[in-house]
Amino acid sequence: MSFKEVPFAGTVPSPKRENEGMVTGNWRTKRPVLDKDKCTDCLICWISCPDACIDQSTTGLAFNLKYCKGCGICAEVCPSNAITNVPELDYAD
Amino acid sequence: MTSSKLFEEPGLKQITVWARGVYENKEARDVVVAVTEAAALEGKFVQAWENYVDLPDRIFVPVRAYGKISDQPIESKYVYENETPDIVALTEETLVKGVPILGGIRPGAVLVVNTKRSPQEISKFLIGDTNKLKAVVTVDASGIKQGVITLSGAEGATDASGIGGGFSGPLAGAVVKATGIVSLESLLQIVKDKAAARAGYDQARVADAKSLGLAG
Amino acid sequence: MGVKKRISGCVAVANGVKLADVDVICSYPIRPYTGIMSELARMVADGELDAEFIHGEGEHAQLSVVYGASACGARAFTGSSGVGVTYAMEVYSPISGERLPLQMAIADRTLDPPGDFGSEHTDALCTRDQGWLQGWSSTPQEALDMTLMWYRIGEDPRVLLPQYSCQDGYFVSHILGEVEIPDAAQVKEFLPPYKNHHVLDVRRPQIIGAQIEPAMGPPLQYQRYQAVEGARQVIKQAHAEFAGIFGRSYDPFVEEYMTDDAEAAIFIQGAHAETAKTVARRLRNLGEKVGVVRLRVFRPYPTQEVRLALSKFKAVGVVDNSANFGIAGSSGVMLTEARTALYNLGDKVKTVGFVGGLGGEMITHDEFYRMFAKLKEIAKNGKTDRDGYWLPFEL
Ligand code: SF4
Ligand code: SF4
Repeated sequence: MSFKEVPFAGTVPSPKRENEGMVTGNWRTKRPVLDKDKCTDCLICWISCPDACIDQSTTGLAFNLKYCKGCGICAEVCPSNAITNVPELDYAD
Repeated sequence: MTSSKLFEEPGLKQITVWARGVYENKEARDVVVAVTEAAALEGKFVQAWENYVDLPDRIFVPVRAYGKISDQPIESKYVYENETPDIVALTEETLVKGVPILGGIRPGAVLVVNTKRSPQEISKFLIGDTNKLKAVVTVDASGIKQGVITLSGAEGATDASGIGGGFSGPLAGAVVKATGIVSLESLLQIVKDKAAARAGYDQARVADAKSLGLAG
Repeated sequence: MGVKKRISGCVAVANGVKLADVDVICSYPIRPYTGIMSELARMVADGELDAEFIHGEGEHAQLSVVYGASACGARAFTGSSGVGVTYAMEVYSPISGERLPLQMAIADRTLDPPGDFGSEHTDALCTRDQGWLQGWSSTPQEALDMTLMWYRIGEDPRVLLPQYSCQDGYFVSHILGEVEIPDAAQVKEFLPPYKNHHVLDVRRPQIIGAQIEPAMGPPLQYQRYQAVEGARQVIKQAHAEFAGIFGRSYDPFVEEYMTDDAEAAIFIQGAHAETAKTVARRLRNLGEKVGVVRLRVFRPYPTQEVRLALSKFKAVGVVDNSANFGIAGSSGVMLTEARTALYNLGDKVKTVGFVGGLGGEMITHDEFYRMFAKLKEIAKNGKTDRDGYWLPFEL
């Protein structure tokens, strides 16, 4: 690595929504899948996600799969059973 | 003076096992230790170790264990990552996605995956130098024997739980069947659960890369 | 005869500590040395080793615990890496000042920041002037042997000094290598039980570590200086005896590799010496007159032996695997000390520093190749352009 590519004193800009230096999506063996009909928008999953990778959008919750490490906490805490963990290889993408 | 080709070690084979952090560190380590110890029984020069820079204390993070086997004394003993593996094994099927498992493989390399799925299914997910692969092998190693989850043996210490008592045995059995890197008999001398290792050997599904449409 | 096994440097040291039959161990975790303590904890739990295993609340406490244990007459062991080594800094000088021959294993780790965990000799080299004996091993076998050797040398009544047994983190500490674990009976012959003449004992009350008058400072420092200097002779004797008993011999201070008729040599300590040897061997096949000299003992620095070894070359590249910012020569402490050893020879041997392998990166074959190429140029031209190069940025 060139010494010019490394930021001055190893600093990391903050706040930052995504850290390219720690992409954790490939840690995932199971993917969280949301059933929108069951979801009550209580946001317990959103606040519980250790990677802060559940996004709130106008169309509802979305998992940022570049960072979601498949820990399953969101599915575990959801009071409405709206999230299912599905084996990652069931998806081509 | 020129350094090109100066440091080649023609007789050297590299085996890299990818695994999921914490849960499977031991199984990955056991595969390389079992295969290299078996090779040592056959008079080969060997080395086995775990990647230090991967984050083995994070659950599910992709981690690597390595082995080197040679008929000559190993000169690159402190080259601490296998840069050009001949054998790649995965302790878990989803590692085929988003992890550069085929990075640097040498022509004729063999991929062995612990999965219920077929080589055909697995090969659909492969990216990178797939044209260098000779074969894709699948085995339901976890179906034959459950993995052992322990921190014993972490950080270079001795694994008091023994070698090859979990699914590493059948996975190593599949590696041996697909590559012939050591004989099954040598492997069975090392692993704790011999029946499971033999079952892995018997049940491994070996598919020629050409038949999978991968070979270049 | 011992047993041959493939084990890591960590496990090798733990086996050495077990064979040394230590009485007190104090641990605190930090990579990469942690494996030594996990292994010792297992040995104690499994009843393989009868020792008091104490978990300290930090490295300063670790060193304080073994300090006390050694003062009570126990053979004591501790260890650390990186910032753990520097956190305990305050306690090192009192231990050697009190002449307590305990041992500390260091598996090197770079200092923060940033929070890297790769190997670098910087941590242990920070402690080099604390009045301890210090040396580096380059293989797990040597790490085990050095553990036994240092106890033997440090506990010798002519020495009575603590010892740092250092190994490169990861390269030596984690990669399994073939090790012959010696027979316990042979070890007993080589390393008799620890007997110090100034231990805390209610039957013979004395104070260890009392406040002194400044006027006592110079004589006490001089005593310690003499002990470190005097260790040279004991180091030689212990190595000779070790070879006699175990059949494995090491040059006590510097190991020479392919140096006969060599014009250029790399001077280095620790694991990367093994890579340098490979490169030298391959270059020899091409007819290049190159060799490697490996330093095994850093304290006491073997001035005579280094001078003798290096004086036969036209050019010497001194490799520093440590960061020494602003040092004379802009390279590292290996270079400054080697140059001091060579000083009286005038300008006969050209020396140049190479800083490499920082942050735990390996020093690659190609980097050693480039160093040898530079040395060849220096040997040919009979002059150096600069004092040192930081790899890979400057060479
Ligand atoms: S699986 Fe874990 S990381 Fe992924 S979205 Fe749910 S809580 Fe977040
Ligand atoms: S916890 Fe369940 S119900 Fe609440 S927002 Fe998340 S998915 Fe919807």
